Amino acid sequence: MNAKIMRMTSRMLMVSILSLGLPFHAANAAIIGTDKVAAAAQIHTERERIRSFLERAEVRQQMQAQGIDANSADARVNALTDQEVQQVAGKLDKLTAGGDVLGIIFTIFIVLLFTDILGVTKVFPFTRSIR
Amino acid sequence: MINYQRARTIVGVLLLSWLYGCATPQTQFLLAMPSQNLASRVELLDVPFYAQELHQCGPASLAMALNAAAAQVTMEKLSEQVYLPGRQGSLQIEMLSATRRNGYVAYPLAPKLSDVLAEVAAGRPVVVLENLAFNWYPFWHYAVVVGYDLARQEIILRSGLEARQVLPLKTFEHLWARGGYWAMLVVPAGQLPATANEADYMTAVVALEKVSNLSRAEAAYRAGLQRWENNLTAWIGLGNVRYAQGDMQSAEQSFRQASLRHPESAIAYNNLAQTLLEQQRYAEALVAVAHAISLGGDAQAAAFATQAQIKSLLDKDGLAKECCAISTHD
Repeated sequence: MNAKIMRMTSRMLMVSILSLGLPFHAANAAIIGTDKVAAAAQIHTERERIRSFLERAEVRQQMQAQGIDANSADARVNALTDQEVQQVAGKLDKLTAGGDVLGIIFTIFIVLLFTDILGVTKVFPFTRSIR
Repeated sequence: MINYQRARTIVGVLLLSWLYGCATPQTQFLLAMPSQNLASRVELLDVPFYAQELHQCGPASLAMALNAAAAQVTMEKLSEQVYLPGRQGSLQIEMLSATRRNGYVAYPLAPKLSDVLAEVAAGRPVVVLENLAFNWYPFWHYAVVVGYDLARQEIILRSGLEARQVLPLKTFEHLWARGGYWAMLVVPAGQLPATANEADYMTAVVALEKVSNLSRAEAAYRAGLQRWENNLTAWIGLGNVRYAQGDMQSAEQSFRQASLRHPESAIAYNNLAQTLLEQQRYAEALVAVAHAISLGGDAQAAAFATQAQIKSLLDKDGLAKECCAISTHD
């Protein structure tokens, strides 16, 4: 009975790992990539490869959650270095994104007008700062 | 007797100058002690202007910098590469990666105003991130620096809907400082930034190589080697790129250079062994890979794999087997 349970568990494990589509090809470790040179000769262990793969999958998912189609998300994640993927993973909705709309409420509007004139901010195109 | 009016004026002036002065240290320093090498006035008139769509200052700024470097890419295409609809903006990291995808070296600058101006003076527009409002109520925005005038203490940008926005240098420093002093260059492969340093440049080229722009990466590595002829990353990178293009002989030369200049590099020997293997020079390959293995370190596992691959092509007498074309690298 124990053997049956063990067999089922390992089969389920196999299915779940395979469904991730992890790149388990025979390690073509022949040529060592240039990024290994600069990174203080830190070769990817199998664990690091898996972690990097999972982080990319996570960022891909997060990009799609932000309104990008699957193909574009794929291409965009693949264009990131491992370091960049690390910086972005899990934080896509928090990192600074240039282009945000400023939701102005009246008091802030007046303050910004004032600071624009002082030359400390520059929100309005029509202000000319004193010098 | 204290003259209160005068005291108030003095305090007011001090406060205002504190507001202006201490808050913009880089501008102050720049204006007080201008570098002899920095031109006092520059404007890059040829940088094209692309008026941004709502929230699309990232694509617009990139379009300006890329097309100034002769890229011929549209804002719409860049929008697909950097714009995040859910965030209504573009991430800094994706501004870098999109530059690479278009075949250019994306070079983040040091957080120094003098470097930004030096790059402009060298003929390159600089993409900057600004916070136009407050730290506690930010308004993030990308713009492109295209000129400056030290005598008038001004900086010229293409920003939003303004083809020529002139700001006081001090104001710009406020906005740029609040954006974390982030700035990037779009550099054609084969050229170097004016303010380039060895480590940052190589990091940027390795990142370009990763996006598989092989001929561009090759040009970028070669430009780096012209300036820093001993750089290990560049020799290995050059070899790898040539290997990926199928040019075994050139790759071999690059890896040999790497191993000559850096005899401690197991990676150089391993990759050299691989190119010799592909040229069916098995005896030499075995020597090289043995060297790689003896150097130990993190590359050893890969070197063992290379050695196994070589040996699999030799029969028990150490001669090449008749069968077996070598598997092509991927």
